[in-house]
Amino acid sequence: MSIEWIEPVLASTTSIGVVYLLGSLGEIYAERSGILNLGLEGIMAIGAAISFIITIAWGHALAFLVAGIFGILMGLLLAFFAVSLRLNQITVGLAITMLGLGLSGFITFPTTRKIILQTLNPELPGAVLETQSVSMLPSVPIPLLKEIPIVGPMFFNHNVVVYITLILAPLMWFLLFRTSAGLKIRSVGENPGMADALGINVFRIRYLTCILSGMFSALAGAYFMLGFQPFWIEGMTGGRGFITLSLIILSTWSPLRAIFGSLLFGGIEVLQYRLQLFGLGATSPQFVLMLPYAIAVITLSLLSVESFRKRISAPAALAKPYYREE
Amino acid sequence: MSVTPLVELRGIVKKFPNVVANDHVDFSLMPGEVHALLGENAAGKTTLMNILYGLYHPDEGEIYVKGKKVKIRSPADSIKLGIGMVHQSFRLIPVHTVWENVVLGLKEAGFILNKKKLAETVKKVCEEYGWNIDPNAKVWQLSVGEKQQVELLKLLIRNVDILILDEPTSVLTPQETKNLFKALRIMAEKGKGIILITHKLEEVFEVGDRVTVMRKGKVVATKPTNEVTAEELANLMIGRPVLFKLEKPEVKKGNVVLEAIGLKAMGDRGVLALDDVNLRVHSGEILGIAGVAGNGQEELVEVLAGMRKAHGGRVFIDGEDVTNKGVKYLIEKGVVYIPPESTRWALVREMRLVENVALKLYRSKDFSSTFTINWRKLFEFSKKLIEEYDIAAHSPSILASALSGGNLQKVVLARELSTTRDGKVPKLILAAYPTKGLDVAATEFVQSLLLKYRSLGSAIIFLSEDLEEIMMLSDRVVVMSRGRIAGEFLPTEKTIEEVGMMMVKGSAA
Amino acid sequence: MFKLERRVYPSRKTSGLVIFLSFLLAFFVTGLIFYFLGVNVVQFYLIIGNVFITPVLFLQAVFRSIPIILSSLGLVVAFRMGFWNIGAEGQIYLGMVAATGIVILHVFYDAIPISLMLIAMGVASFLAGGAWCLIAASLKAKLGVNEVLTTLMLNYIAILFVDYLVYGPWRDPEGWGFALSIPFPDYATLTFGGHPSVAGITISVAVAALVYVLFKYTKLGFVLSVLGKSSEVAKYAGMSVGRATLLGSLISGGIAGLGGFYVVSGMIGRLRPRASPGYGYTAIIVAMLAQLNPWLILPAGIFFGGLLTAGDALQSLLRLPASTITVFQSVIFLCIVLAEFFMRYKVVLKR
Repeated sequence: MSIEWIEPVLASTTSIGVVYLLGSLGEIYAERSGILNLGLEGIMAIGAAISFIITIAWGHALAFLVAGIFGILMGLLLAFFAVSLRLNQITVGLAITMLGLGLSGFITFPTTRKIILQTLNPELPGAVLETQSVSMLPSVPIPLLKEIPIVGPMFFNHNVVVYITLILAPLMWFLLFRTSAGLKIRSVGENPGMADALGINVFRIRYLTCILSGMFSALAGAYFMLGFQPFWIEGMTGGRGFITLSLIILSTWSPLRAIFGSLLFGGIEVLQYRLQLFGLGATSPQFVLMLPYAIAVITLSLLSVESFRKRISAPAALAKPYYREE
Repeated sequence: MSVTPLVELRGIVKKFPNVVANDHVDFSLMPGEVHALLGENAAGKTTLMNILYGLYHPDEGEIYVKGKKVKIRSPADSIKLGIGMVHQSFRLIPVHTVWENVVLGLKEAGFILNKKKLAETVKKVCEEYGWNIDPNAKVWQLSVGEKQQVELLKLLIRNVDILILDEPTSVLTPQETKNLFKALRIMAEKGKGIILITHKLEEVFEVGDRVTVMRKGKVVATKPTNEVTAEELANLMIGRPVLFKLEKPEVKKGNVVLEAIGLKAMGDRGVLALDDVNLRVHSGEILGIAGVAGNGQEELVEVLAGMRKAHGGRVFIDGEDVTNKGVKYLIEKGVVYIPPESTRWALVREMRLVENVALKLYRSKDFSSTFTINWRKLFEFSKKLIEEYDIAAHSPSILASALSGGNLQKVVLARELSTTRDGKVPKLILAAYPTKGLDVAATEFVQSLLLKYRSLGSAIIFLSEDLEEIMMLSDRVVVMSRGRIAGEFLPTEKTIEEVGMMMVKGSAA
Repeated sequence: MFKLERRVYPSRKTSGLVIFLSFLLAFFVTGLIFYFLGVNVVQFYLIIGNVFITPVLFLQAVFRSIPIILSSLGLVVAFRMGFWNIGAEGQIYLGMVAATGIVILHVFYDAIPISLMLIAMGVASFLAGGAWCLIAASLKAKLGVNEVLTTLMLNYIAILFVDYLVYGPWRDPEGWGFALSIPFPDYATLTFGGHPSVAGITISVAVAALVYVLFKYTKLGFVLSVLGKSSEVAKYAGMSVGRATLLGSLISGGIAGLGGFYVVSGMIGRLRPRASPGYGYTAIIVAMLAQLNPWLILPAGIFFGGLLTAGDALQSLLRLPASTITVFQSVIFLCIVLAEFFMRYKVVLKR
């Protein structure tokens, strides 16, 4: 088989993998600090919907900005419920997912979307008001590097967001594991009482990571819309938020390992399309699609086995509200 | 020339619901001294130190640190003042490395953590005290003694000069204890002040310069260690008996109900908590178990109740081997267990009183059929218990959380003593601190209950922190120390002082 | 100044009041959101209210509430025993698969007599839903794996499994290539009582009664309640915690599975992909709104069934998307979660 077949597959692997990677970056921080954000799916959906609308009205750059702001707001909502009021993170997260899915459907519905678009930019031509698709982010191939076989198309022929994400992941790994700020975040997620006793502000750190988680989830949604599938379908995120949660488990809460995990999950998805295209496994692409979820269940089980649990495990205080002891 | 004390506490009062934990306590710590704070459990030592550490806020009194009057609102405040505490349960993150645990929250570490440099700094401090820990090791890989060293490192690297250690040796091996004391002496030589909370006499003499004895929330003495004897301290610590008369009828001892041979079990922290324990209890007999808290008594009753696995040895009830047969089996055999802090571990506060009565009884044939529970019968039965035990509840359907501690304890007793097969008397009653925290009337009530079941032929194991109570109530006393039986005698054979010595010294006086 | 005071334990009256007020708050907040999004809020609520006073629409509301009610009743069992089952959705799908499987067994292999069909389908869907829940429960009991994430992930696996079946081996050979199973024969549909709503509500009331009896009178129910409050006390009392966890989750998932049975057999009449629009998630809201009381699940479930019904009217009358209802649902959800806070604390005025 010639290499021409492989290269587009690898390119799409990166394209789709970045959705998961981008979404996981903030959520890893949140989980490391003891916050489980099950609202990821909904925030991704709302990020996608908003970027869709804003791109039509104002263009790509602002689309990311506004999506990010909405993500931050959703993160604040989570923080208020989970950190300040110390409510059950699981139910709060599911409610936020529902809210995000609902709102994304609502604002992109033809009639409502039309009103929103006219308010945002009265000069838009009528035909644009009805469109279901937007222009994709332009590719910015990197000269020379893109010529390298296999690696070139995989990493150096993409849009800006892909590059930023791939650079951000190791940076955020460094921040989390090699700086005092990262050490504080990780300690808060392991033993908030101890961190508090050492003068670390548990509430501030958890608010911050909630915001990060919300922002990155929304940006992942925006990227999915503008960088991978530039037409709106309701429910287009289709469980990708939960796949991201699964990715985080697989990468055992490390942004660096998440790069590989996201490429694996991206690869699985592309493989599934390809298999259908070639008529291979056309009858059961579903089993391939099940893999990310099954991997999550298996990884979780393995991490619970005694000998593993000591070395790597979910942050000890994950999803546990923190009360100061009196 | 006068030296300013590192710490001075004046007239500290701390009240909790029902108890005065600290009653006008004065305490001081000089630079370069190891000051032992001695007392039984619940004497108020830990409360006092938690006040100094910022975890509790005193109701009255003043705190001076290095001559300045201060208010300590939180542990973070106390660290800024140079006060640090090593708790009995370590506050470490097992999945992080040693150096990460040590430098957490440390400003001097800088933003980007230089692993090599920080590890070296940690190593250097280690060397000063003769410790040999790899700074890059994960904390979960360390031994208990090493974990404690990491706790100390956290404080030392912050230049803490007032160190509080809460019973630091209770989890250590003798060798580790020796190393710890060596390190403490080095710290003292550097001018630091060390407060050592303990209830072991030999430690006071081994490392202490001065000793303060607390009893029932009050300071009873502060003396240099070379001016007191062990006997004096034991007396101060245990105190003079405040005897009140107890009607104790003669009961003829029956056959052996419980026999434990060579019992071994692990504690919660994975160290051997019971080591070769042999026991015999007869029907109609109360066996009192005396011992300073944490010497294996609780683990012993847990093993006998089936709540904890025995790792060695055998338990027989009426000659039948019941080792590790499980809670349910033992309940059916007629074993009744009143756990320590029973209002928390033997009751569900969010449930109604009748449901709490039903916790074990729901399986009994009297109150259930194959699948269903006869709540009406249980309701009537609960009513009877409320009356019989004089529980302040107007109806069995109120939530347990609505009752006071004393009444909750009565609920536990009422239920346990009636949780028997077919209305028979319990075969074996394991009563762990059943009178703890109760007022005089409630205490007398519990004691008379135990005596009543003794007359009815139950075999009883009785734990108490109050030595007089044990001596008064028991037919036979066993002293436990470090998971072993340190002595066995009749209450008439020994004085309270002698027993106290045996408890703290771990061997027959 | 306002100050928060911790309540010891809220009485049933207080919790009821707090829940009711939060429910009202949700109406207010939803109104506010939609007002800003340019929706005629008065009309919005009138359309919703209309569902509950118009007999035809109300019947429709009941019809759509059945899978919600059933899976919610299953969640009552799980939540009361302290098992965070987020997987009702997946258990519904497994229930659908089992019920359809029985039909296929019958039609193609003639394995089951007609008279036993509905019973066989019911039993099979119960077992399948229960087994799906058991996976997470046994991982929890044996290894201590957190059930929230496993049940959640199992949902998607179940949905994809149904996709596989209807796109693949179970596709109707005469269905013009659509991803549908064969239509169920009449004797395999839940239409007794003249209308599927009647059949459905009969089953729901019966299951509610069973759940009520389980917790009110049975030993197992008592063990599950104690387990939900404190597993330490349960161990102390000599209860077999592991066995109870497994049994309770089997029942919990099983009841949700019955919901799936109703979807294919009472509502659609065949298996198709994505046959549940998230009943299993709505069920979580219903269970919390009803405060885990099996009888209150019925009205609470019907309310949400009514919302789904109102969704159709909103589309045709106000040109609002179906997701309007999702937004409303999520706001109710958030408000009920918030209620938890006011049950734990009371706000007192202090000078």
